[in-house]
Amino acid sequence: MNNLAAQIRRDLALMWAGRGDAAVMLAFFLIIITLFPLAIGPDPARLQPVALPVIWIAALLASLAGFPRIFADDVRCGWIDQVALSPLPLPLYALSKVITHWLVSALPMLVAAPLMAVMLYVDMTRLAPLMLALGIGTLALTLLGVLAAALGEGARNSGGLMAILVLPLAVPILIFGTLASSPISNGPVGNGPVGNDPVGNGIMTPHLLLLMAVTAVLLAIVPVAAAAALAEAEAESS
Amino acid sequence: MNDPSTHAASSSLNTGGIGTMTTLQLDGVVLARGMRVLQRGLSHSMSAGQITRLRGPNGSGKSTLLRVIAGRLRPAAGTILCQAPRLFIGHADALASARSGRDNLSDWARLNGFGATADHISASLEMMSATGFADIPARQLSRGQRRRLALARLLLGPPNALWLLDEPSAGLDSSASTRLDDLISRHLDGGGMVIAATHLPLAATHEGSDLVLADPQ
Repeated sequence: MNNLAAQIRRDLALMWAGRGDAAVMLAFFLIIITLFPLAIGPDPARLQPVALPVIWIAALLASLAGFPRIFADDVRCGWIDQVALSPLPLPLYALSKVITHWLVSALPMLVAAPLMAVMLYVDMTRLAPLMLALGIGTLALTLLGVLAAALGEGARNSGGLMAILVLPLAVPILIFGTLASSPISNGPVGNGPVGNDPVGNGIMTPHLLLLMAVTAVLLAIVPVAAAAALAEAEAESS
Repeated sequence: MNDPSTHAASSSLNTGGIGTMTTLQLDGVVLARGMRVLQRGLSHSMSAGQITRLRGPNGSGKSTLLRVIAGRLRPAAGTILCQAPRLFIGHADALASARSGRDNLSDWARLNGFGATADHISASLEMMSATGFADIPARQLSRGQRRRLALARLLLGPPNALWLLDEPSAGLDSSASTRLDDLISRHLDGGGMVIAATHLPLAATHEGSDLVLADPQ
């Protein structure tokens, strides 16, 4: 466990040193969302229906921008060789990347999300479900990104590959995430709030549970799959 | 292609017969990059306190062999038995360019659980005369300076380790090369092992052998 802590500590220090990159992703998230009121106009009746999907799509696209770099520096400088020879298993190394990448890229978006929700006239009662679903959904997106980044280390020009690989797999996350954030009566299951909502507070919907299920499956698969992809990754000879 | 599992069975029997002194043994190792076979039937053994100087023309598989012994690549066939912990310094220095040399060394020691104290790290930096630039980000350093930081790392590992060094003197000036020679000699005196891909007569006074790889063409 000390090895895992050491790896996380190193990555956080590196990300703090390169915090401009995280700021660019946050700015990307904010700009995508801000474009919508500018394009649609400030009318709440027209903004409100698209508000939650817009926030989700912005989170997805902004996350995508950060994925290609997840392993790039470690492979290029040879750190990954040192990790592979160390007592830290590669699946745990991949998991450490999930944790640090989520903290640095998703957490700032999560903090900014309520402000964006206010700008798009999201009903304040939907704020808690949105934040919860967004927190879980961004974790699932980060897991996908780590997997795609690990696979991309073996391929050249993996930037475009990354988008093609991640976006189709991100569709369930987008669907369940948006539905879990939306008011229940708008859901396609449509049995009414009581039947769909065992707890009765409008948060623990079936959609949220499905989103959690997707995340749990990814959490089980991604570290192992990413480790297998990284097992022989190496820097190009200098 | 030979079946690796039968190789494994036969070579573990062999080692039992040879004795416990041998701590690294290569048996019928075949090196391949992609579809190209670089070397076939490499066999070699070495024990504590010995150095193996790996020689051969460019592209003969020196780096590949080091990566195979380190466990970063699988051999196409054959077995490798290694009873010592392995430290690998490849072409890449494994230094994070935004972190100082000192931080890079302590990150590495913590990753491996070596429990190096600040004094220990300072001493190893001093050994490669890297103290003067140990506290500035590695991106501002020259290639030779980065190489010295990477090599200083070796001193934080266990004394019985097998060092796998790929062109360790690349980019080093003459005084740093001398330091490298001292570093290796001391490690051999302390019961360690070294395999270095190098064209220098490193640790010439110590017991060792040359492993010459033939040109694959």
